[in-house]
Amino acid sequence: MIDETDKKIISLIQKDLPLDPRPFAMMADEIGIQEDEFIDRVNALIGKGVIRRFGATLRHQEAGFNSNAMVAWIVPDDQIDEVGKAMAGFNEVTHCYHRRPQGDWKYNLFTMIHGDRHDECYEIARRMAEATGIEEYVLLFSEKEFKKTSMEYF
Amino acid sequence: MILNHYVTYLPFLRLMDTIDKEILNQIQSGFPITKRPYLDIGTRLGLSEKEVLDRIRALKEEGIIRRIGGNFDSRKIGFTSTLCAARVPEDKIDTFVKVVNEYPGVTHNYLRDHEYNIWFTFIAPDMPAIDRAIDRISQKTGVRDILNMPAVKMYKIRVDFEV
Repeated sequence: MIDETDKKIISLIQKDLPLDPRPFAMMADEIGIQEDEFIDRVNALIGKGVIRRFGATLRHQEAGFNSNAMVAWIVPDDQIDEVGKAMAGFNEVTHCYHRRPQGDWKYNLFTMIHGDRHDECYEIARRMAEATGIEEYVLLFSEKEFKKTSMEYF
Repeated sequence: MILNHYVTYLPFLRLMDTIDKEILNQIQSGFPITKRPYLDIGTRLGLSEKEVLDRIRALKEEGIIRRIGGNFDSRKIGFTSTLCAARVPEDKIDTFVKVVNEYPGVTHNYLRDHEYNIWFTFIAPDMPAIDRAIDRISQKTGVRDILNMPAVKMYKIRVDFEV
């Protein structure tokens, strides 16, 4: 799926883009390929979905200025697809994943929601519950951020 | 004179204006993959290349932009990822967090208000590597109750925020 040259490209674009008029030329030079090839390969990686998004990551979305809650749901297995899609449809939901529960933890659908305050998050969750008929859920608010970085793969 | 000095030399006091916001909305996912990306952003917004570069530099210095680059689907790079939750006694939280955060594959780690109080994401070349890491974390910290819950299916991931 990705070759050694792609890995070298990823090792650069997982960091911060140079603030230079020709950032891709600079990075291409670093790994000994042409600017055109570098650009073509980045576009190909986007096309293949290896790069999910290329652009600026802002700090406000991670600093926890507003209220961010993980809402975990207990959804019957035969409804998980339908409910997962319905919850993904909420604009306030930024992430929605089905995960297999473990041990004492019985919740199998995970959503992240963002609101200005805690009570706003409770209200969003209530509307999600109402829309899907899923009544067993729990809100886990982030109380402290211990780490937030981007992965360095290579 | 003194006021002028402050305005000039304390750029972090500057408030974001409409142009900054337009730039941020353009470059979160529409960043041009072209030979002169900053020039192309400027063309879209009616700004010079230099003005775009200067404003982006200022937004980075002010800490509003964390980085500009690629965000990856780790599975498509051949990596695996998971969400872990741990039940950590209050007096062990500091040590536990320190041990967990030493792993470069741990990219997010939060304290949450639940009996499973520490939640972290873990990216690694494969699941056995994550399992081994969790075992080592348990041995080092004495925390036994660590859940490892890889995604079965992703229904949504949204990474853009309207500014």
